[in-house]
Amino acid sequence: MWVYEKKLLYPVKVDTCNPKLAKYLMEQYGGADGELAAALRYMNQRYTVPDKVIGVLNDIATEEFSHLEMIATMIYKLTKDATPEQLVEAGLGAHFVNHGHDLFYENAGNVPFTATYIQAKGDPIADLYEDIAAEEKARATYQWIIDVSDDTSLNDALRFLRERENVHSLRFRESVEILKEERDRKKFF
Amino acid sequence: MNPAFQEERELMLQLQEADFVVVELTLYTDTHPNDQDALNQWREAIKRASAIRRQYESRYGPLSLHSIPTEQAIEAGWRWNQPPWPWQR
Repeated sequence: MWVYEKKLLYPVKVDTCNPKLAKYLMEQYGGADGELAAALRYMNQRYTVPDKVIGVLNDIATEEFSHLEMIATMIYKLTKDATPEQLVEAGLGAHFVNHGHDLFYENAGNVPFTATYIQAKGDPIADLYEDIAAEEKARATYQWIIDVSDDTSLNDALRFLRERENVHSLRFRESVEILKEERDRKKFF
Repeated sequence: MNPAFQEERELMLQLQEADFVVVELTLYTDTHPNDQDALNQWREAIKRASAIRRQYESRYGPLSLHSIPTEQAIEAGWRWNQPPWPWQR
């Protein structure tokens, strides 16, 4: 089970209302390499992997949900004071007519989230390679968003998230090595 | 900024930092279960985060329902269903 903590993993501040930046951030909210996809992918894989790597999947999945909350907070803060005209100007007109000021699990191009973004292959090493790729793709997305953002407060939190992708990628790489070692040991004895 | 508000912000930030150390060391020890030094750091990090959490919650009320609300917090008006929620801060 989970218990809610009334705090963010890392503080999220924004300088100004900026719906265009919010639109870009939706890629990390409901996009293929976003935080929701990451959280759901790892949470689902943890049931059937060997015991030695359950912890890493469980704990990274849990952290991804806290990243999802940070991204949601960013989008909320960047759009809450925007007028419908400002949303239209930022390319969020289609979002506004469907969802008003609500958030929605969709990517930066307004494509709704789909479970087809993630896989569960029944092969722990194949799954962990997907997880490593997912972290690297999310890291790249954070970099591209930072490159087009001039909100210095927001960029601080985005750099934190970018760095977490690196750490998660590393932990998944170590998990692959742990499984390979276990596999090779079984072969010889 | 109102000084009481600022104090709360500072203590929250300290807790976020301390909790993050626990998150990071938990992931590290997941893949390095025999690293005794890391395991010791992890235990210390949990101890430190727990002490800061007690300090924060006794003053400003529970952050989760695993902590007992102090009479001081209830009297000061703390309720679970009370803003600010994290995205409103």
